[in-house]
Amino acid sequence: MTIFTFALKRIFKDKTNLIFLTMFPVAAIFLPEPDDWPLLPYGYHYFGVLILFVGIRLTGILVEDRQKGVVKRLAAAPVTHFQYLWQNLLAFAVILTAQCMFMIAGGVIYGHELYESWLLLMLFIVFSFTAIAISLAWNSLYRNKETSFLVFMCVIIIMAMLGGIMMPIEMLPDILEQIAVIFPTYWLAEGLDWIVMGEDIADFLLINGVLLLYTLLFLIIGSIRRID
Amino acid sequence: MRESFVTIWRFMNILFLLSLWTIQSESIISFLLIVSLAILVCLRWRFHLPAWTVLIDIVICALFIPVWSASVFGFALPLFESITRGNYAYILPIVILIPIGEMYSVLLFWFLFQAGFVGVLVRQWKKQRDLYISEADLERHSRHELENMKNELLKANRQTAQLAELSERNRIARDLHDHVGHDLTGASLAMDTFEHLEGKDAENMIQEIKLRIARSAARLRDTVHDMTPVARMDADVLEHIADEFQHTATNFQKSGDMSQVPAHYWSLLEPCLKEALTNVARHSDATNVEIQLDVTATIIRLSVQDNGMNASGLNEGTGLRNLKLRARAVGGSLSVDAASGHLVVCVLPLGKEEENR
Repeated sequence: MTIFTFALKRIFKDKTNLIFLTMFPVAAIFLPEPDDWPLLPYGYHYFGVLILFVGIRLTGILVEDRQKGVVKRLAAAPVTHFQYLWQNLLAFAVILTAQCMFMIAGGVIYGHELYESWLLLMLFIVFSFTAIAISLAWNSLYRNKETSFLVFMCVIIIMAMLGGIMMPIEMLPDILEQIAVIFPTYWLAEGLDWIVMGEDIADFLLINGVLLLYTLLFLIIGSIRRID
Repeated sequence: MRESFVTIWRFMNILFLLSLWTIQSESIISFLLIVSLAILVCLRWRFHLPAWTVLIDIVICALFIPVWSASVFGFALPLFESITRGNYAYILPIVILIPIGEMYSVLLFWFLFQAGFVGVLVRQWKKQRDLYISEADLERHSRHELENMKNELLKANRQTAQLAELSERNRIARDLHDHVGHDLTGASLAMDTFEHLEGKDAENMIQEIKLRIARSAARLRDTVHDMTPVARMDADVLEHIADEFQHTATNFQKSGDMSQVPAHYWSLLEPCLKEALTNVARHSDATNVEIQLDVTATIIRLSVQDNGMNASGLNEGTGLRNLKLRARAVGGSLSVDAASGHLVVCVLPLGKEEENR
């Protein structure tokens, strides 16, 4: 588990990461509750976007490794690419899970109406996995950490807009509404709606299932071993 | 190259299903079909999956047929996979399952047909590529063996030369020891005895010593004579040929350092001179032949000039043509001129060839 502990240390060494991981969630907890839309407090509704940002920040260290030639040296070390990958991903997942727990616990203590807080936590954790997988796949396309991060920021905005996080999905044209389904953010928004109004648990499981399928899909794409 | 085309084709199929799903405004659940098929496509892109995984595609498509009848379009993927891999057995369940969808459209038929056709193309493509690769491997292998053989022959050649040298050295040592050595030692001992003798014995002894020394001198000469090679070498060969030529008078002249000339050049210069002299004997009315051999730092030039007047028979025979080819092979040239008597000039490069090696 050397790589795992080292990944954790590296992430906390970066001051920007600390801001992303602590200040933003704290600020999100204290955001007010809206009048009609979204149904959850603003901070919780937009938390998915924050998860995506944190995901790309964290997986950025994999691109950095490639940039600095660490991957090349690892190829010569008695460490398999699989070990390197899963220990890093585990570190990211642990951090994001902790952040989700912190967020939910903070909301409950502050006194927000979170309806099914345990299921909300579960949804956020599953979405965190998806976010890590997406950013992993995204990063595998780039050689440079900064470019990857900047372009992904635009992608996040598009995903949030079309996926129904920024604005209600019903506002979109019919065809876009249909296409929106391909964005993982759509399923997060659906899940958030379910938390407030949902009845059938099967729907919630379907939503999580789709998110997990997406995680698998992007993990397969992102786990490609690039030594360059 | 082939792999990337196949991957692109697979992803195009996923996009097709996605667009079909969008147009038909189907339920969310049928979207799961597309995601699952996309995961399988990604897996095939990243890893080499065994052939039986085609069944997973078929089962997934079959499961979604009750929910979304257009799921039968998804059969294009397992159909393509089974044909490219040559596992035609998997086509059977697909054919059986298609009627369940109750979607008998022309589009479906042609869509599945193109999937199968592309599959056949890819399969042929792969077969041909494998064939080329194995042929290239075979050729490389035989070339490697040939090279090895050549190296072994060269090595054997060197060893033989070394052995010959060693045995020659042994022969010299043996001859010196067995004959010359014994006689000289005997003569030396006889000299010692001679100092103590008088009269007729002394006379006999001195005769004995003389005999021994004369014999050992003769032996020594023989041994040394055996050491000098019987066959003539280098420029001597050419000189000898010129001397032996009876038909006209010859004048052989040479200049330069003959030791610089590589051994295989002599085997080219020798037939060159022979051919030129034979031509003089057969076709020319010349009375004198001037042969000049010059060796400089960069070239070797052999010129054979006669003073004949009959310049009619200038057409080259096979002999000269062959020599020309051989001269060209080592980077030199051979030219014939009949302006005043016959002139054959052979020029071979020197030094350059060594650099190339």
